[in-house]
Amino acid sequence: MNDTDQMICVREKKTIRLHWFNALCWLLLLASGFGIISGDFVRFAPTFWPELMQGLFGGNDNLVLAHIIVGISWVAVFVFFILFNFKGVVFPFLKKVLVLTPMAAFKDTWSMVVTLAHLFGLMKNTPVPPQGRYNGAQRLLGTMIIFCSLLIIVSGLYLFFGPQLLSFSENSFYGIIFRWALVGHASSVFLVIIGLIAHIYFALIEERESLEAMKSGNVSVEFIKHHNALWYEELKQEGKV
Amino acid sequence: MTKKYVMLADTIRCIDCKACVVACRAEWETPMGYSRDWVKQAEFVKEDGSPRVMLFPGRCQHCDEAPCIEACPSGAAYKREDGMVLQDNEICSGCELCVPACPYDARWLNPETNTISKCTFCQPRVDQGLQPACVQTCVGRALIFGDMNDPSSEVSQLLKEKTWVKLTTDEVNIGPNHYYYTAGEALPDEVMPKLHDRHLAGKVMENVVNPVGAIGIGAMLLTFVGAGVLKMIGRRNEVSTSENQEDK
Repeated sequence: MNDTDQMICVREKKTIRLHWFNALCWLLLLASGFGIISGDFVRFAPTFWPELMQGLFGGNDNLVLAHIIVGISWVAVFVFFILFNFKGVVFPFLKKVLVLTPMAAFKDTWSMVVTLAHLFGLMKNTPVPPQGRYNGAQRLLGTMIIFCSLLIIVSGLYLFFGPQLLSFSENSFYGIIFRWALVGHASSVFLVIIGLIAHIYFALIEERESLEAMKSGNVSVEFIKHHNALWYEELKQEGKV
Repeated sequence: MTKKYVMLADTIRCIDCKACVVACRAEWETPMGYSRDWVKQAEFVKEDGSPRVMLFPGRCQHCDEAPCIEACPSGAAYKREDGMVLQDNEICSGCELCVPACPYDARWLNPETNTISKCTFCQPRVDQGLQPACVQTCVGRALIFGDMNDPSSEVSQLLKEKTWVKLTTDEVNIGPNHYYYTAGEALPDEVMPKLHDRHLAGKVMENVVNPVGAIGIGAMLLTFVGAGVLKMIGRRNEVSTSENQEDK
């Protein structure tokens, strides 16, 4: 077997399970969340969706309960995963994926722009700069999803528990926070959906191998060499390829 | 035929005894200083120089196009088929997005329940075949309640017999189901509905978050469907080119 045919394991089973658990939770949370928001001034989904979901669950109070149960389960699983895998999986992942400096953001945005332009036959003579374990678009999306998820969790907990634990009539500030939490919750969800469309497209159409890697954990060295040159060099130095 | 409940208030018969307010407060055990209905006084000087007071018993107008329902994020504010605009306390968060949406100031945050309170036309009583508490107690019979779709009902008869007006303006005309009889007197400005500035967060949600979200999601879908189609065309061209080469 030559170097390029070689398959290497790049992802542990527990990480793969977490990814698909996360995907399932997002699906359930989006379906239920868009079903909860009802009034025309604040609703995003077409009218039939809240009617369908609330009818299916026997009322909006049950739908809200289902939404919060899935939401809290989602958070709980992540918290446990982070606690037990911080050093081995989470910290290295954050180190590789988080875009925290303007220069890194500029570099990643540029590589994302070139990649997207190539999809439409544009900037053909401009090569995508060599990428590490995660490419520019993945890093930007990952960073956005991490921060949006934090906002979604905090605002979601307040939207559910705030009215139960605080007396909104005693302090108008509680109501103000509630209304802005709704804005923050919805805005973050929209940002994640926008990112997920690209994520799903690349997984299903452009880079089927990355989808395979998220199922089996294995990816071909050829794929890494082609798409993630800097990571390939790292693996070579570590003697893994 | 579906019922359509309406309230008629004969301002000529109202004496401002506030029995309706007391009955409502007793029925719904509203906290001190809060009531689901009211009587507004409008004082003015007539053309002949004599003073005049008009009395307007008021409450939620159970509008056909109720903006409170449109503003409510959880669906706690809803309209029943018979026209009643109701409030589900189980899911009301007390966020108050509906409060400034009501141009009749009929909604308020109940400090005891921390949910929104409003007139429900005494829906539990009506469902039992009773009259709303305010109607039953009105000493001057100024308040009349009933189904306007029933031709034999008192409200149907009265609506035919007299000229009734609704509290609407060019700016606020949302189909209220509360009628007033003023014996031809013009409606004073004090009792007319007023548009309030809605909460900023609600406006941001309606005018920024949802439209920008829709544009963003739509643009992304369009971009990647386009990319997918281009890829498909490219693949087809590749296949036909290689087939042509094989044929040669």
